[in-house]
Amino acid sequence: MALLSVRDLLVRFQTHDGTVYAVNGVSFDLDESETLGLVGESGCGKSVTNLAVMRLLPRPAGRIVGGHVYFQDEDLVGLDEAEMRDLRGKEIAMIFQDPMTSLNPVLTIEEQMVETIKAHKKVTGKEARARAIELLAMVGIPEPEPLLRNFPHQFSGGMRQRVMIAMALALEPKLLIADEPTTALDVTIQAQVLELLSRLAADHGTAVILITHDLGVVAGMTRRTNVMYAGFVVESATTANLFAKPSHPYTVGLLHSMPRLDAQPGEPLIPIEGTPPDLRFAPVGCPFAPRCAWRVEACWKEMPTLEPIVATSEVQMTGPLATHRAACWNRPTPEEAAAGRPLRDDFIPAALPIEAPR
Amino acid sequence: MATSSGLMIAPTARVSGGLWHDAFRRLRRNKPALVGIFFIAVFVTGAILAPWIAPYGPTVGSLSNNMQGPSLAHLMGTDLQGYDEFSRVLYGARISLTVGVVAVVFGLIGGTTVGAIAGGAGGIVDGVLMRVVDVLLAVPGILLAIGIVAWLGHGEIQIMLAVGVSYSPIFARLLRGSLLALRESDYVIAARSMGASPVRILLRHMLPNALTPLIVQATLAAATAIIDVAGLGFLGLGPGDPRVAEWGEMLTDSSRFLQDAPYLIFFPGAAIVISAVGFNLLGDGLREALDPRLKR
Repeated sequence: MALLSVRDLLVRFQTHDGTVYAVNGVSFDLDESETLGLVGESGCGKSVTNLAVMRLLPRPAGRIVGGHVYFQDEDLVGLDEAEMRDLRGKEIAMIFQDPMTSLNPVLTIEEQMVETIKAHKKVTGKEARARAIELLAMVGIPEPEPLLRNFPHQFSGGMRQRVMIAMALALEPKLLIADEPTTALDVTIQAQVLELLSRLAADHGTAVILITHDLGVVAGMTRRTNVMYAGFVVESATTANLFAKPSHPYTVGLLHSMPRLDAQPGEPLIPIEGTPPDLRFAPVGCPFAPRCAWRVEACWKEMPTLEPIVATSEVQMTGPLATHRAACWNRPTPEEAAAGRPLRDDFIPAALPIEAPR
Repeated sequence: MATSSGLMIAPTARVSGGLWHDAFRRLRRNKPALVGIFFIAVFVTGAILAPWIAPYGPTVGSLSNNMQGPSLAHLMGTDLQGYDEFSRVLYGARISLTVGVVAVVFGLIGGTTVGAIAGGAGGIVDGVLMRVVDVLLAVPGILLAIGIVAWLGHGEIQIMLAVGVSYSPIFARLLRGSLLALRESDYVIAARSMGASPVRILLRHMLPNALTPLIVQATLAAATAIIDVAGLGFLGLGPGDPRVAEWGEMLTDSSRFLQDAPYLIFFPGAAIVISAVGFNLLGDGLREALDPRLKR
């Protein structure tokens, strides 16, 4: 049984401009101590999916309007706030993008760490403090004891992210959600923090969802990857398979827009033309169709479901043998994926229908 | 760990001072604020030491010696009853400062309670409380205060309450606004993701970060409170006992003799203005010292 099982998750935001269709039926599973990458560009719903799992969507605008989030067989969507509070930090912890702003500027590191520990464990202040020192040492902060009295602004970005990791792991959660944990850090610090994160997760058997837009980070850190676009999971595979055989035009586009070391100098990057769809319109058909070179008539009418790219009798949702699945009516062939464009003779992308839905 | 710790960036070796330390340092370099502090200090000292430094008691004098101009014996002259004006200004500082400051404290207590509940709870509670605040804000503060004194009767406590109530909507709205902004801040969401309770988040994470605008506003409010208290006194809604020296009532008593004894208006008036200016300068200085955007 999977540790986390998200089913047909629908998240909407009510704004002054109307409804924003942020997450449109996302399903995925995560096993214990598995690492899952969630990749996609800004606004594709990857962060919102995880805030929904944590039930931390901004109120009152953001709401889960459908689907289920099973965590250890319990549907989190039905829990009340007090029950969620018991889970947060203890069973599911989260690391945020910007360590500069995710620590409270007016509280010392000690106050913030002790608070987290005491929120879930009946321990004395002294015990909590000892645990805080232990945790800071664990994330590689030398001589942590005097630093406990410091305020966040006295720490560098990398140090703060280490503190955040220490706090997130304080209660040995089963699931750690890392939302772009290194985006705000220098490249050299990024590697250290990622290395630390994956080592600690492995040591504690913590499952990790790593949200990122950096395919390089995904390649190095995760065993399995979901690619998201406009609130849909468009491709799901083991990370190795995803890079070897990208089977959704969006994934192909992502891979081609990333600089490669083995490219010839001067070889241009191929950006994905166009912009992501306006999520204020209810999705009709595949949201990637307007930017897609492989689009066919069906793409304008109906969003395809995630289907195995090779016919199989049994679909594996998790693990190293997870089935490679893509949601596409007209999947790029491996040759086309390598070329980054359709190679079939006289293939013309389907024209926009007259009664344009968007 | 030993391998990677060699690569680590050592924490910056800055002395742990914290926000207040930095703010105090900036305040000390702000000349207008220092002038403000000086004015306030003069009045506070005068108020505290009045029984010792005032040449006469507030109600000592004889009618035979009334309406004298400033002289060596009576630095600010004598009033209609023959009381020493300088001594009365000193004693008046006690009333004006305590009533003004305590009124602001009352306003702060009431306003922050309402604002914290509204900003913390949100939803319907927020809507209802803020509409009440809107109604109170629509009524001019001094008018509200007059109504409350007329209702509760004369007396220092009544004035404090009246002025406090008229100020509390400002504090309530200010705090609620900051709390709403803080509610979506990263560290509040981070604290929630760690399982902190709403009360704890409000008291430990949000209120301390919403404090600085309140401090500035309270200091500025102390300036207007002194004027409001004097205003109530001027309108005959002062402490009630005519023997008690109160700047506003001193103005009323002397206004009939503006032609003959302008000094009787000048000195209490100057006391009101200077103490109000003192609090204003300090408030502006605090605003600059506590504003994180001005950090250097």
